[in-house]
Parts: sequence; C-alpha cells; structure tokens
Amino acid sequence: MLQQRRIMALWLPRLPTDRLIRKSGAPEAPLVVSGRANNALIIHALEARAEKLGLYRGQPLANAHAMVQPLNVVPADEKADAALLENIADWCDRFTPLVSLDAPDGLYLDITGAAHLFGGDQAMLKDVLAKLSAQGFAVRGAIAGTSWAARALARHQTNALARGGSGFIVPPGGEAEAVASLPITAFDCDAKILRALSHAGLKTVGQVAARQSSELAERLGIQFVRRLLVMLGQAEEPLAPRRPLPDLMAEQRFADPVTSREAIASTLLALAQSLGGLLERQGQGARMLGAAFFRADGKVDRIAVRAGAPVRDPTIMLRLLNQKLDALADPLDPGFGFDLVRLEALLAETTSPATVSFDANENARRQVRFLIDRLSARFGEHRVLRFVPQDTHIPEAAAVAVPAQDSDFDATWPRHQRPDDPPRRPCRLLEKPEEIHHVMADTPDAPPVRFRWRQCLHHVARAEGPERIVLEWWSKDGPTRDYFRVETREGQRFWLYRDGLYRRNGLGPRWYLQGIFA
Amino acid sequence: MSYVELAVTTNYSFLRGASHPGQFVQQAAFLGHAAIGIADHNSLAGVVRAYDAWQSLPEEGRPKLLVGARLVFRDGTPDILAYPKDRAAYGRLCRILSEGKNRAPKGECFLGLGDLLDHRAGLLLIVMPSAHLPLPGREPKPAGILRALGPDTWLGASMLYTGEDRRRLRDLERQARAAGVPLIAVNDVLYHHPDQRELQDIVTCIREHVTLQGAGRRLQANAERHLKPPQEMARLFARHPHAITETLRLAGMIDFRLDELRHNYPHEPVPPGKTADEHLRHLVESGLAWRYPQAIPPKVAAIARTELDFIADREIAHYFLTVHDIVAWARGQGILCQGRGSAANSVVCYALRITEVNPATFEVMFDRFLNTNRREPPDIDVDFEHERREEVIQYIYRRYGRRRAALTATVICYRGRSAIREVGKVFGLTDDITGRLAGTVWGSHGGQMEEHQVRQGNADPGNAAIARAIHFANELMGFPRHLSQHVGGFVLTEDFLDTVVPIGPAAMDDRWFIEWDKDDLDTLAIMKVDVLALGMLTCIRKAFDLIHAHAPCGRDPKWTLAAIPQEDPSVYDMLCAADAIGVFQVESRAQMNMLPRLKPRTFYDLAVEVAIVRPGPIQGGMVHPYLKRRADPSLIRFPAPDPRFGPPDELYEVLKRTKGVPLFQEQAMRMAIVAAGFTAAQANGLRKAMATFRHSGTMPTFREKFIGGMMRRGYDAEFAQACFNQIEGFGEYGFPESHAISFALLVYVSAWIKKHHPAAFCAALLNSQPMGFYAPAEIVRCAREHGVAVLAPDAAFSQWDNSLERTAAGALAVRLGFRQIDGFREQDAHTIMEERGYGYRGFADFARRTALPRRALVLLAEADGFRGFGLDRREGLWAVRRLPDDSPLPLFAPRATPEQGAETIAPLPAMTLSDHVLADYQTTRLSLKGYPTQFLRAALDQEGITACAGVAALRDGAKVRCAGIVLVRQRPGEGTAIFITLSDETGVCNVVVWQDTFRKFRREVMGSRLLLAEGRVQKSPEGVVHLMAEKLTDRSADLKALMDYGQAPAPRAGHPRNARVLPPSRDFH
Repeated sequence: MLQQRRIMALWLPRLPTDRLIRKSGAPEAPLVVSGRANNALIIHALEARAEKLGLYRGQPLANAHAMVQPLNVVPADEKADAALLENIADWCDRFTPLVSLDAPDGLYLDITGAAHLFGGDQAMLKDVLAKLSAQGFAVRGAIAGTSWAARALARHQTNALARGGSGFIVPPGGEAEAVASLPITAFDCDAKILRALSHAGLKTVGQVAARQSSELAERLGIQFVRRLLVMLGQAEEPLAPRRPLPDLMAEQRFADPVTSREAIASTLLALAQSLGGLLERQGQGARMLGAAFFRADGKVDRIAVRAGAPVRDPTIMLRLLNQKLDALADPLDPGFGFDLVRLEALLAETTSPATVSFDANENARRQVRFLIDRLSARFGEHRVLRFVPQDTHIPEAAAVAVPAQDSDFDATWPRHQRPDDPPRRPCRLLEKPEEIHHVMADTPDAPPVRFRWRQCLHHVARAEGPERIVLEWWSKDGPTRDYFRVETREGQRFWLYRDGLYRRNGLGPRWYLQGIFA
Repeated sequence: MSYVELAVTTNYSFLRGASHPGQFVQQAAFLGHAAIGIADHNSLAGVVRAYDAWQSLPEEGRPKLLVGARLVFRDGTPDILAYPKDRAAYGRLCRILSEGKNRAPKGECFLGLGDLLDHRAGLLLIVMPSAHLPLPGREPKPAGILRALGPDTWLGASMLYTGEDRRRLRDLERQARAAGVPLIAVNDVLYHHPDQRELQDIVTCIREHVTLQGAGRRLQANAERHLKPPQEMARLFARHPHAITETLRLAGMIDFRLDELRHNYPHEPVPPGKTADEHLRHLVESGLAWRYPQAIPPKVAAIARTELDFIADREIAHYFLTVHDIVAWARGQGILCQGRGSAANSVVCYALRITEVNPATFEVMFDRFLNTNRREPPDIDVDFEHERREEVIQYIYRRYGRRRAALTATVICYRGRSAIREVGKVFGLTDDITGRLAGTVWGSHGGQMEEHQVRQGNADPGNAAIARAIHFANELMGFPRHLSQHVGGFVLTEDFLDTVVPIGPAAMDDRWFIEWDKDDLDTLAIMKVDVLALGMLTCIRKAFDLIHAHAPCGRDPKWTLAAIPQEDPSVYDMLCAADAIGVFQVESRAQMNMLPRLKPRTFYDLAVEVAIVRPGPIQGGMVHPYLKRRADPSLIRFPAPDPRFGPPDELYEVLKRTKGVPLFQEQAMRMAIVAAGFTAAQANGLRKAMATFRHSGTMPTFREKFIGGMMRRGYDAEFAQACFNQIEGFGEYGFPESHAISFALLVYVSAWIKKHHPAAFCAALLNSQPMGFYAPAEIVRCAREHGVAVLAPDAAFSQWDNSLERTAAGALAVRLGFRQIDGFREQDAHTIMEERGYGYRGFADFARRTALPRRALVLLAEADGFRGFGLDRREGLWAVRRLPDDSPLPLFAPRATPEQGAETIAPLPAMTLSDHVLADYQTTRLSLKGYPTQFLRAALDQEGITACAGVAALRDGAKVRCAGIVLVRQRPGEGTAIFITLSDETGVCNVVVWQDTFRKFRREVMGSRLLLAEGRVQKSPEGVVHLMAEKLTDRSADLKALMDYGQAPAPRAGHPRNARVLPPSRDFH
C-alpha cells in the first residue's frame, strides 16, 4: 500500500492577462494576448471580459477583431509569464517547501502532512485560492492523492468553480471516482492519443478506465497507461523539485549596525570580492549591479549601475558603485546604521575567462569602454551618448545618438569614397538647417556663387555637386534637395542645399546651410 | 539635337524596372529620341512588347528600336550592354543567354566574361561602371576589360546627381582614353517618366523583401532614372558632347530588326523524290479514301483541293506534316487526342485524322484560315488526355532535340491577390490585413480593387497605409512577375532555336521554354503547335476502356470518337432536360440553365450551346434574339446595308448558320470587313486589340471606326452598337466557331456515354479527377439518381481506380477505388491488389500479408474500408492501432509480422450515423450513407427553412429561405450575377446573387460551407427554378457543431470543386 500523499494542484488560466492588468490596470477595451501558430496570429490568452464576448483561446486574431471592436491586443511575453509563475511559486513557499512548477500556468504543492497547520485540506485550499485571488489572479485548485488527479480536477472539473470557487477536494482513495466523469482532454496528452480515444468513441476518463490496461497499452503506449493509473490514484508520480536559482549575490549581516563610511566601503569591497568569485566560478560577468543597504529601522536604500561589458573585477565593480554613490543627489544616510548590506548581479552574462590582450587597440578600446562606464555611472547613462549610423538617404536621419553603454547597436558606417577624396558628409551637422539669403546661383542646378549666412556674405571659391536627394515620399513630402559642398574664399567649407528645383515660373527655391566641414 | 538612350531596364527585368517596354518606346517617341534601346537584365523577354508598341506608332518620327540585353555577370565584371549589329550577332546574343540560363536554376542566368568573349562578334558593347567612383581594390579596373573586348566597345557614363558626377565623368574620360574606347552617355533608366519612381521604390522593396521604412539606401536617392529629353542630356554632358553623339553613332551601326526573325519551320522527313506538298497531298488522298470507304463526296474532294493549293501557296505543308506526325504517334500509343483551331476544321485535318469532325455533315469553316491576307501562321491546338500529355511532350523533345524545340512562355503578371499581398507587405501591413484584403478579390482575375471590397475585408479604406497599399497594388497589376512555361505551346525550328530566342530550363525536369509568350510569337508570326491537356479526353478514353472490359461478349465494340452513333435523339433529350452533370462544357450552372431554353437537337446546336453562354454574346445582347428566332423561324432576318452601299444579303453568308445573329468570334471579324468596311489588316488589328484591350487602350478608335463604318453604310445604329459590345465582350475569352465545333464533338460523346453507360461514365469521371465543375460527391449522387449502384471503397474489394462490378442482378455497379481516399498512396493500393489473390481471410490476414505502413492502414480504417472484414470504422481504427509500429527496416524484417495473441475486448461505443457520414466526408469527401444536412433537418425545419427540393414546388415569386452546402460558386465571364448551387439531402437549389447583393454579402458568398439564402423563387416557362437571393447567412458553424472533434480551418480560395464540405481529418501515425 502506498503511503497516501496529498497534492494540491493550482491552475492560473489567465496568467498572461492577469500579469498585464496587475501591472497597469484593466484597459478600457477587453484585453487579449496574441501569440503565433502556423504563421497566423491567434489568441494566446484572454481576460474574462473578452471570453464573455465569445472570444476563445486559439481563435485567429483577425477573426476576433471582426467580432469585437475595439480590442486591446498585447503580444505574448512568455518570459515574463514564466518569471511571474516562478515568483508565485516562491510565494507559495510559505505553505510548503515542496512547490513544483506545472509550466506554463500551473503549480503543484506537496502538502502531505502540512495541511493541518492551515486547518485541514478544505481550509488550506480556500486560503491559498483566496490569497491568490486577492492579488488579482484567476485561479482554480484541487487536492487529491496524486498530482495528475489533482491537476485534472483543477483544470477540468467545471463544477468546482460553480460551487463557490473553493476548489475541489478528493478524499483519500476517492480519485478514480472523482475523475471518472472528466472528459478525455483531462489526460492532457499527445493530440494523437486524444484522437485515438475519441475515434474509439471513448469520451470520459471513466470510459477509458473501464478498458483493459493491456488493450490500452498495446495501442496507446505504456506511458499513457501510467498516466491513467496516476490519475486514478493507483500509482504515484514524484514531483520534480524546482531548480534552484543561480545564487549571484553576496551579503553581510551585522550584529551591530554599521554607520561609518569606512566600514561601509570595506564591506562593499568584501562583497564585491565574493561576488566576483561567484561570477568567475559560473563563467559570468555582471552587466548590472545592485547594492541594497538595509537600515536597522527597516528602510532600504538601493542603487543600481550598468556596465557596458560584463564585469567581475572587484575593483572595477567597486569603482562603478562608488561613482554612483558619490553622484547621489540624496547621499546615503545610515541613520542608526545598516544591519545588512547586499550586493547582487541583477543582470549577468556569460563571458570567457579574462585573458590579457596584447593588442594595443583592444586595450585602448577597453579603456574607452571603462571610461564610458565611469562617465555613465556618474552622469547617468542617458547623458553619455554615441552616434550610430542609420540606413537612409536623408542626411539628418542618417545618424542617431544612443546611450554609449548600449552595445545593441552595432553598425558599420558606410564608405563611399576613396581615402584621398574629400568627405561626402560634414563632420558637424546643424541642429536645424539654417536658411541662407542673397544666394546667387545659375539655373537649373549650378552651385551658388555667393550667399549670406548669419549676417556674413560668403563668396564661393570652389564647389562640388549637386547630390540630389528626395525625401521619403511615404512618410513626409517635401521638395527635392540639391546638396553642394562649397569652399569660400576665406577657406570655410560648408554643406548647402537648394530646397526644391527651379520651375519655369514663380520664385526661386530657398537655400539652406546644413553642415560645416572641418 | 538628338540622343539615344541605350541603358533601359524595363519591368521585364523583374522587380527592377518600373515601366512597361511599350511605355519606354512611346515616351522616347514623345521626347523626340532618334532611337531607343531595350536592354533587360540577361533577358530578351520584353523586346517583342517593345516591338509591338513600336509597330503601332505612326511611321513618321518613329524612333528606331534597338534590341539588346544587359549582361549581368557573376564573376565581378561590371554590367555590359550588348546590342547586336545584325541577325547573326543577335543569334549569338541569344546563345550567350541560353547557355547562361542552362547552367542556372529556373529564372536565373549565370554568366561570366568568358561567355561574352566566346560569342563577341557583331555585338556592340557598352561597359557600365558602377554609379559611384570606384573604391580602390573593390572592383576590377574597367581598363583591362575594355581592352579584352576589343573594337566596338564603349564606356558608359551617367550623370545621376550623386554629388561627384563631374569628377567621376573626368575619371571615366581618362580611363576611356587610356583604353582607346569612346565614352558614351547613358542615363541608366529604370522608368519612362519621373512619376513612376514611387512604383520603382515599391518593386525594389518587393525584390529585397523589405518594407519601405526599412529599405533605406536600397532605394534610389532621387528620381533621376527616367528618360530625359535630348536637350537635357546635352546639358548634362555639356563638357563631353561627344558622349552624346556616340549614342547616335552606335544606333546608326545597328541594322538588325526583330521582323528579320522569319520563321524557319522544321523540314519533316518526306519520302525520297517527293516534295512536302506532294507528300501531304498523298497523305490527304489516302486519308480521305479511308474516311470514305465507299466514295469521296465530290464536295469534300473539291474543298480538299482548294485547301491543299492554299497550303502549297503559303508553304506551310511542313506544319501540317508535323501535327500529323504527333497525332499519329499519339494514336499509336493509344492516347486520345483531338485538334481544334482555325486550321483544324478543315478537310485536310479530317483526312489526316487530326480532328474527328466530319466536314461533310456541315459547313466547314475554312474561311478564316483561307484568308490569304492574314499572313499569320495557321493555328492548330491539339488536345490530349491530360494524364498522358507528358508522353507526347517528351516525344517531341526526342524527335526534334531540345535545341530545336521548346515550350512557349507564359508571362505571369501581378493580379489582384498577389499585388495586394506584396504591396501590403511593403507598406508594413500585417499578413492578417493583407490576407483579408486579398481574400475579397474574386478568383485570380480580380480587376481593380475597390473601396467596398476593402470594407468587406474588415479593413478601413480611410487608413492611409491601406489606401496607399491599394493604390499601388492597382498600379502594380499587370506588371510581369516571372516567366513560366506555357501549358503546351511548342515552338519548333529547323535552325537552332536558341539563335532565335533565349531558351532556359523550366521548373519541371526535362522541360525547356523560351522567353516569349504566345502573343509575342503572334507578333513575330512564328508558328507554334499547341499540345494541350484535356481532362475530358482522359475521361472518355477511360470510359471506352471500361465499357469494353465489361461488355458482354460481342456487344460493345471498342469505341472511338468517330465511331459513336451520331445524332442519337435520346442523348439530346437528356441534354434538353438539363441532365448534364459531368458532360463536357455544358455542365456549368449557366449552361444548365441554357439547355432547356436552347433545346439542342443537332450537332451544330451543341456548338452554339457551347459558344452562347460566353461574355461576348451575353454583352452583345445576342442571346435572346437567337433564342427567339429558334422558337419562331419567321423572325429570322438578316441586317442589311443601304442599297447604295451593298447588296442586302451581304451578311447572309456570314450569319446564315446562326439565324442572322452573330455569336462567334469569326463572325464579328467578318462583319468588320463586310459590313463596317475594315481591311483585313485592320480587322486583324481589331482582333488583337480585343485580346488585350484592357492594357492597350486602343479600343475607342476601333469602336468609332466599327460603329461609324456600319452606320455610314446604312446599318441600324442599335445593331452596330450591339455588335461592338459583343466584340468587347469577347475580350480575352473570344470563342471562335472552329473551337466550338471541336468541343461540340466532345459534348456529344460525353453525353452519349452518360446516357448509355452511366456507371462507366461515373467511374471514368472519378478516375480523371480533378476536372470539371463538380466534386466527386455530386458525380456519385448523379449516378445514383440514374439508378447506378455505388459501393464504398473496401480493402477486400476495391482497386486503386474506381471500377465496375456486376451486381447479383446483373447490372453494373461502381466500386469506389482507393484513389477516392484522401492521401492514400497508389503504391499501397497496388500492394493490396497484388496480394489479394483469392481474397483475404479477415483483418489480421490482410495486415500480415500486405504489411502496409501504418499510415495506409489508418487511412483505410478512417475511410471505413474494413467493412469487408466485418469491422466498422471505429473497430477498424482500434484494431489498426494494436498493430506494432512500422519496422524501421522492412527489407530485412521477416515476411510475416509476429502473430499477436487473439484479443477479446468489450465492444466500443457504437458510432452514430451522423458521425459516420461526417467522417466519410472528411476522408473521401462523399458519403454513401447519408448527407450532412439531414442531421440538421429537424433544427432547420423549426426555423422554417425549406429543403432544396421544396423550393421547386413553390410558386413563382414566393418568399423562401433555403440552406444547403455550397457546391459551386460561379461568376460567368463579366456577368453581373453570381450563381451558387446549394445542396442538401433532398437535392440541389440554384441561387442567383446579383452584383449589389453580392457586394453586401461577399464574405458569406466567398467563405461559407453551409449557406442560408433568403429571397424569392423565380420560375421560367421552361421550368428552370432559381432562388433570387436577397440575404445570405454563413451557417458553417452548424456543420462544425455536428463534428465530434477537429476545428474547421478557414476555407482556402480555389476551385470550389476542391473545397471541402468538412476539413480533412488529420490522423496519421
């Protein structure tokens, strides 16, 4: 006789939409989360309001749009959903240490011998469901002697909700009876097996259970029969324990809270060293570091810094943290002292073990990266920028500034000229092209002979052009531009353009100065 | 001042150029260019279109047309424009391109500089350096290439506003001087007019698979790549005027014209000492002697002589010998075939057994062919059984070799659906939206997309991106997209064909096709033989075989097309009753409505029947006058001109066979000549314009000429107008009498088989699928209504094909074959047939002996094919699942699979009839057990919905609601009505949806499987009943509700014959 275990299965059928609504409130229009199946957009999850309107999971999105207008569609974020499920599992630790994931939207709690602490199966299930509902989750649950029985009942016993949402409790040994009326979809197995059952005319778990097991095993495989037995409470399947999270943090507790700057600094160094060791063992480096200072009175101060490249050198980590601490508008106030300081790698990336490079360029680049990290830590990452090229003909859009630490942008600048040619683009572009006046130029497309810019009259000594560029007709319409590179008698070099072409009648086009060559 | 643009990329450089070749020619003429060169990327596909446009320009001031190609290399050589000086050089250019195509996959051409050097003689070459100053080391120095190419080489220079044009030009001038070649001005144009630039951006995006937003510098920076006036080119090259004069010098050196490609037809072998004409005359004489064993009627002999003289005069005897040879070969292989086309309905072709239509029994229409003014090649299309045509094609390749024979191309153009899909992507619309927009375009011939269609697709026409996408999709329509092989048009030459036009491999193995389509060949008067596939011929041959195999000794001979008893009244009786499902050409909804009204009683009536339900006669309003005159011959009279201009009976000869009403394309042409005073050449121009009037826009001039011409000669204005409407209606679907006559024979033969051998007809039709209008379910249903027993596919009895079995009563029954089971493989069927021997001893024995893969067994079980072993569908599937999985190496596995112990199991729950019927539909698309709608009947009755059979019983004008499964949706030609055939367990109901209603209910009409139609009953005196729909509702969900499992995926567009009432079951492994 098996020792009777008690398993609680939880199902969060609307996890993706619940997550979004918890984060930013319920939108006005019904919310659905879209996913992809066979290259078509389908409904991946939906909130209760949308379901009431007749939408369903797996429905083509186009179809849903046709039925319900307006509809609020958010693309699925499976990572975020998985992270949330992990968090809920963490939270469930308070009921039992044996929590296991039933991804993507369920949990198992092994509550064997724990239920009495919460007033018995009934009260405990009620408590779990009430607490999760209070946090904004749609949730259903059941307790039975085996995982599959509990799971099947949580997900497929439609009466459970009708009976006041308290979930479903199977008395020990009552599994077979409890699951008998469930549809065969409760097996949640391979679609091929479901079709085989349905083609055989078997519609409920009970009908399947009534067949000989040799008959089923020959046709559907021994795995299926095992699952059936687990569901009937006649066999047991161990729960897979959750994988421990990689432990990438270091903390130090103090019996006597510390207050002095020196003590804090040495603590940080010690923590940086142990975190560095952890990172090294895992072959990782931190892209983002967090430090938390827990004050004895309960207040917590947190700072976070980012690094352009993964770091695990304690001195570098410490330097980045200190830059940030120095730059705080509101300096760290130890009050009555910190009793816990924690340093964690908020974002870690795999990196090869540090090798000393003898390439001077690489070292120089590393120096620049480190400088960027330090500057960014001090002034804020959005204040230290660099240009990245854009694929467009439009000069003012050809480069955009992004945070210098951001390494996602990596494009090479186009080269269209021979090394000894003059540059095609000026090194300085004015914020806005400035109109120039009194322009004298031959029609239809000759460079100007002289022009006035910022009160100054310039005489053109040499010029090349035009380079003709038309604006992107599908986004904004504007006149065609003829660009000229000109050098004045004084030796200044400008980048000018004529805005529009000469027409037979009417006024001449306007001229602008857009950039200055070195 | 003058100039010649030589670097022209048309839209036949697919997705690069943004204007049609003709537009370049017209624009060049408009701008006053001295000549215009067409040079597409490794292709000559567009040059005939340019030539066609060029021909229609007034001769005065017409620029010279230069034919060339832009050679694009794979070895880093810059592009080179190649213009042949003369015919021989043109042949070499074709050869270069053919060789490049042959070593590349379909649609591409792999060239190296060596290919050009091998065939360089007589080609004028322009080396095109890249548009920017070259970066050091990035590309080969042109100097070396220029030297290698030798004389008659130029260096192309362009002024494209890149910002450094002058410096670049100086640089090129230096290089040219160093290599001793002249500089030549080009503008490297991609479109004829600057306005086309936006479309050019769009095709670039389509080519690069990017959106406009993401295209960046893949697009041109400006809109300068168009044809520019000579003055403007002179201004741009003011410092290098010789570059402009070089364009004129180059153009002057060219003396090749496309019309030099006079066709040289292959010389058929003839017996020694005879000419081709003598040989043909001999063949015709012996053929006639065979046709008329008693005596050749003098009338026939006289016609034969005229025709032979004509053929001799036109020197086209070889053409007839070729067709004769192909047909004779096919007959030797037992392949059924029949010729049609202008030359086919001749005594010569009858004597050569190219056609089976006996010219003695009615008038021969040789006049179109006999028109000596038409210096066009004769036109014979030969239809072969569609399943065996490939044998004929391979025979032709064997006989002529693939350098002398190739298929014609078909230019695949952007149509409504493809255009909106591609352009939508470019504008960043999701698949979802473009899919919906594309879904509302009717068929593949969707015209311009209109706003109401956009709304129908649930999209907002006010949305800027959608509106733009639609605008440009409309612009893109008609643009060539790629070349594909024509279904069967063969070009044969005596010389090497690859010196006439480039030839490349097709997607199919062992097929090659040229770069020109049939219109291009027409333009150049190059002869071709059409080797076409016709499903009905397959069906007829299979029916003949079945009849022969199951005939009681000596009763039924082996039939041939010619041997079928003629003018059998019972066959006409059947057709008059509109009992025509499966009959060739007259089984469509519209034809079935016409049959009881036209009441065909003779062979010629069938030809009229075939031709009358077409856009031409309908648009010309000729249908009713014709029917009225049939009913009352006293109404027959012939339109006449004013006596001052011509004899009152001038149209009698033209219209006598059709009771004074023009119905056929030839009649319209003859009327243009006889009544409207066209010259033969003008009439020919009209015929061509008819075929392409959508694109060319020359129709209004013809309209004025035609109607004005008739009215000036005293014809009634209304009649002239109607005649011209009809000509417009012929459009692309012009239907000549010669085709109608050939088709009429197949109508008669298929109707005869249906009448006298319904079981064989049903089996043969099913064995020839896909063809015709109707799904297998309707064919089977029709056979059963005619008293033929139809038996389900069964592992114990069936063959691969549908076959005939004698029932106990001695009647022939159809046994459905394994081919009716979706996805079942022929090879498995043959295993079952071979192993069957004296029969199987039950399921276990069957499984062991056949050792079929599991997939096959599951398919059989799902199709309920184990009844012969006493297992129904459910039990069969359960039993199949018990078998061990397929062994991985069947070759080494012991012959017999290990015996499984006998098993005693409880019976499975019984399957309901509705489940069985629906499962039958999922696996074989038909059920002999019932009809899906019968399970909905009670619910439908409660709603007050009439069954299909009940509609006919209602009075004219009664309001009615009727629901049924959509069998056929049809919009005949340009018709303003849509015909829908609904069917339920009681019969069928014919629904008519007018254009306005259709607009409102497009989604329902296009997408429903089960459709509820509400409207009024309309009854004609002939007893034709229609439901004139006012409201339509999609009730497909009701069908879905019947199903136990499986979701109905959205129906895909396609022939409704292939649409499924229910989605297929997906249950393999």
